Amino acid sequence: MQERVKLTDAQINKDLLRSMEENPLWYWLLVGALGLAVLVAFAAVAYMFNRGLGVTGLNRPVMWGFFITNFVFWIGISHAGVMLSAILRLVQAEWRRPATRAAEVLTVFSLMTAMTMPLIHAGRPWRVMYWVFPLDWARGVYPNVRSALVWDPSAVFTYLTSSILFVFIALIPDIAVARDRTTGWKHVLYSVLALGWRGSVRQWKLQLIAGILLSAVILPIFVSVHSIVSWDFAAAVSVEGWHSTVFAPYFVIGAVHSGVSAVVTVMIILRSMFKWQDYIRLEHLDALAKLLIVVATTWFFFFVLEFLFGLYSLEGPEIRLREMQVFEMPWAAFFVAFLVCSYFIPVPMWLFRSVRRSIPLMIFTTVLVNVGMWLERFIIIVPGLARKQGLTFTWGGYTPSAVEIIIVFATFCMVSMLVLLFAKVFPLIPIGDAKEGVVLEDEIKIGKVKVPAIMRED
Amino acid sequence: MHELHHPPTPVYWGMTAQELTQDVVQRHASPGRQFWAIAGVLAGLFALGVIGFILLLTQHGVDNRREWGYFATAFAYIFVTAQSAVLVSVALRMAKAHWRRPLARISEMFAAVGLFNFLLLIPLLWVLPPTDGRRSIWFDWPGRSPHLWDTIAMGTLVVLGLAILYFASIPDRAAVRDQAGSEPSTKWRGNVQQWIVLNRGLAVLGGFYFMLLIVVHMLISVDFAMSLIPGWKDSIFPAFHALNGLQSGVALILVTMFILRQTTGLRKYLEVDQFWGLSKLLLAISLLWFYFWWSGFFVYWYGRTPAEQGVLRYIMFETYWVPFFLAFVMCFALPFFILMWNIVRKTTWGPALAGAIVLVGTFFNVLRYYVPAFAVEELSLHSLEHIPTANLPSFIDILVVIGALSGAVLTYMLAARVFPIMSMWELREGQILQRVRKLMKIEVKVLAKPE
Amino acid sequence: MANKNVLGLFDNADTAADATDGLMEVGVNQEDFDVLTGSPYPEGAFGEKTPVHHIYVFPLIGALMGLSVAFLLTSGTQIAYPIVTGGKPILSFPAMTIISYEGTLLGAVIFTILGIIFESRLPRARLDPYDPRITEGYIGLLVTCPEERLDAVDQALRRGKAVDVIHEGGRSFRA
Repeated sequence: MQERVKLTDAQINKDLLRSMEENPLWYWLLVGALGLAVLVAFAAVAYMFNRGLGVTGLNRPVMWGFFITNFVFWIGISHAGVMLSAILRLVQAEWRRPATRAAEVLTVFSLMTAMTMPLIHAGRPWRVMYWVFPLDWARGVYPNVRSALVWDPSAVFTYLTSSILFVFIALIPDIAVARDRTTGWKHVLYSVLALGWRGSVRQWKLQLIAGILLSAVILPIFVSVHSIVSWDFAAAVSVEGWHSTVFAPYFVIGAVHSGVSAVVTVMIILRSMFKWQDYIRLEHLDALAKLLIVVATTWFFFFVLEFLFGLYSLEGPEIRLREMQVFEMPWAAFFVAFLVCSYFIPVPMWLFRSVRRSIPLMIFTTVLVNVGMWLERFIIIVPGLARKQGLTFTWGGYTPSAVEIIIVFATFCMVSMLVLLFAKVFPLIPIGDAKEGVVLEDEIKIGKVKVPAIMRED
Repeated sequence: MHELHHPPTPVYWGMTAQELTQDVVQRHASPGRQFWAIAGVLAGLFALGVIGFILLLTQHGVDNRREWGYFATAFAYIFVTAQSAVLVSVALRMAKAHWRRPLARISEMFAAVGLFNFLLLIPLLWVLPPTDGRRSIWFDWPGRSPHLWDTIAMGTLVVLGLAILYFASIPDRAAVRDQAGSEPSTKWRGNVQQWIVLNRGLAVLGGFYFMLLIVVHMLISVDFAMSLIPGWKDSIFPAFHALNGLQSGVALILVTMFILRQTTGLRKYLEVDQFWGLSKLLLAISLLWFYFWWSGFFVYWYGRTPAEQGVLRYIMFETYWVPFFLAFVMCFALPFFILMWNIVRKTTWGPALAGAIVLVGTFFNVLRYYVPAFAVEELSLHSLEHIPTANLPSFIDILVVIGALSGAVLTYMLAARVFPIMSMWELREGQILQRVRKLMKIEVKVLAKPE
Repeated sequence: MANKNVLGLFDNADTAADATDGLMEVGVNQEDFDVLTGSPYPEGAFGEKTPVHHIYVFPLIGALMGLSVAFLLTSGTQIAYPIVTGGKPILSFPAMTIISYEGTLLGAVIFTILGIIFESRLPRARLDPYDPRITEGYIGLLVTCPEERLDAVDQALRRGKAVDVIHEGGRSFRA
């Protein structure tokens, strides 16, 4: 069942530009609070740079902790954007329309946030330039491309550049709408950004091709980014549990799982913040939840493969690691929480139509998924390192320090703040796409019912 | 929404629902002499295969595992291609793709081939060694666990596939009987209740088939290939095996559609739309083929442990490098370069050509796992200490493979005598849910998206 | 004689499509008019000419350039600073493939973006004639014709139930 509402173009403009035109007090209070949290984290980072990495909980043998977990988590969230907008564009799914922009913007901001994590983790971020770019001409010392740590920057940089450009190209027609409805300095700004868009036949045709073509080019990047992140781990033989061939697709599909869930969360929040009930409708949540069932189940299959073939080796250290993950506190608690949160609660719930169409339950399940997926990264990264050495007296543990907790918490505030600020400047639901949906909407009368239908060109 | 100048018109495939039903039923009733001639040739080839099988059994016996490599390849190949082909209709029905309608039955009919393939599994159960004292996914379970559970899983899969074929064709078989004027033997009348049960039932059966197929891919690939090569611990392999299955399933349907188009009067149902839709799927899966292969290879290459290098040398770069090279070219490189052009995708020959190439490539891909796996003698080690020499096909092997493949095709053709090859009820539903209408100065297709 | 632009505004897509027939009668060819809309319409719905473009060449060129640069960079730096790590060869193709792959796709994306902007004939300094009502759902028929036929075109647009007809330079829209 679909709840289509007939809307005129003028009404669409008014509704979707609402986030830019109205200035409610709660908005600025919210942005201010989030900004404050980010400032506190800046102070924490400055303190850490000044005192050194000793102020974190990192110590031998666990040298990758909260920062790297959080890096992988945000890279994962960033996979929502392309997953939704590219794949759904390519398969011409109608229900993608309200979700694409929010997903792409979430991609951009979560990628930016993810990039800060290894920089902070490096402790001396200004040196990173020499590790990843061939800059040291004077001494002729260049980065080692056989090291997995050089691949990440190249992948993330490519992905970030592409997503920003993708968002910009898709924004041009919407910027033109803003241009036509503003005056003064805003009008000048939007005029420059709109590049002189008039909506001619050629411009629209290219705009549509751009959506498809860029999706097709960005999809292979999207797959490569999280694969490369997974090879940061899988290329290492020395850490038990990391050297697994399934890691790349396992990470990618896990990223899609958490990313799409995050998009649903964000869409529901935007819907109630900016009164977009006519655009983000229950049928969209329903379709996204069905997609999530498939994604989550595929992800679970890969998880089973990863775990099963860890045991398959029948080698002592690997078995020891799995025992620690599953039976030793606190890891056992994390392990159970991770599985229950990311699969065993949400997926059975999504099987029911009433859950898929319930706003509070969808918020609950999608947030739960991301709690679970954060824990997943944590129990992949830390236990392996804690049991890295062959001799038991070199085993270690890890407890995050306050500095790490503050910084990780602030990344969530930063992404939220950036999305909110974006909504102030640009429309978060693509206006042109929404209007195209209205043009293509149709219905077929069969006997006594009218079935919603859609026009397709061949 | 626009005020309509012109309401949508309900004609599709250029005929009314009655004409469509009559057309398909008539073609189903009289297959023609050519059909029986081909069936006769296939039966002859199958008989040769049976002779090959008897020779294999009497000359080598079930204890000489190495000699059964090609037999296992034939079994795995039919499993990978035909039994996965059923999934195409299941998946497209779930996605509510209207263009699937003409190819739905073509895909489901491959469930019948599963029944034939189950026969090939039986002798392999005697060849497969017990799992005692070696790595397997059965760990401490009794040594004959794979023999038992693989048979149960495979048997359930075959039954599920046949159930899908049987239920999906109830309305069509009723139509065939109605047209022949004979007494209706089923209770099918097509009332609202029956349609609801049919649609829900197909969705549930399809979901189970999907999940069980993945599980069987995992069981077959690990028990009959991976666990027989010491040191081969490759967590992506079952998923890669299943992906190759989906790829070759799509390819198989493309080739079948092309042959049906050329040899029967079904040309007007199997249009470019169907080829175009499947070709996009095939292109995407061919890219994923590379990705999954690369994920496995890359981690092995980086690991550089003796166990990993042994496996890479054995099934990829030294002993069986020829089938690996052919598989790589024919499952990834060629289909990618053929299908990346939309002009080629929008033909019937382009996707069919790519499909044929993928089918051959899949054969070599399956071969490079099962033939080497059956040739390793010492199974209790954790790495390959001596790499066995290549097992080249003997005359008997060739007979067996040709016989098995002919038997599979013959089964498909005989199934087409029982079940109409066009899903008439889905076509008629398509006529109701897809229309053509004028929008200002052009004609557009209008697709209903009911929930 | 110089060509001039004139823009007819319609409040309804069907009226605009019908009005193009009237334009044909006064000698306006398919090449001489363009349709300005606030949302994409199916191709050819207004009876307009389908624009020709070469967008698909751009990603291929970009990919080729990106691949070359990335390959030279990865191989060059390894040869210039050869240190064996992990027992792997100095020129390790699997490792170089990763960065070459990213380079290829980065090149493809950047060239695609440039191609889209170029093929859309953007950026464009002057909008004239234009009307902000187009982004409110009005349809604009933009006709290019010689100066002496301006009146005939104007008449034809008004006969086709145009809500407003705007001449080049007639009303300036700040852009």
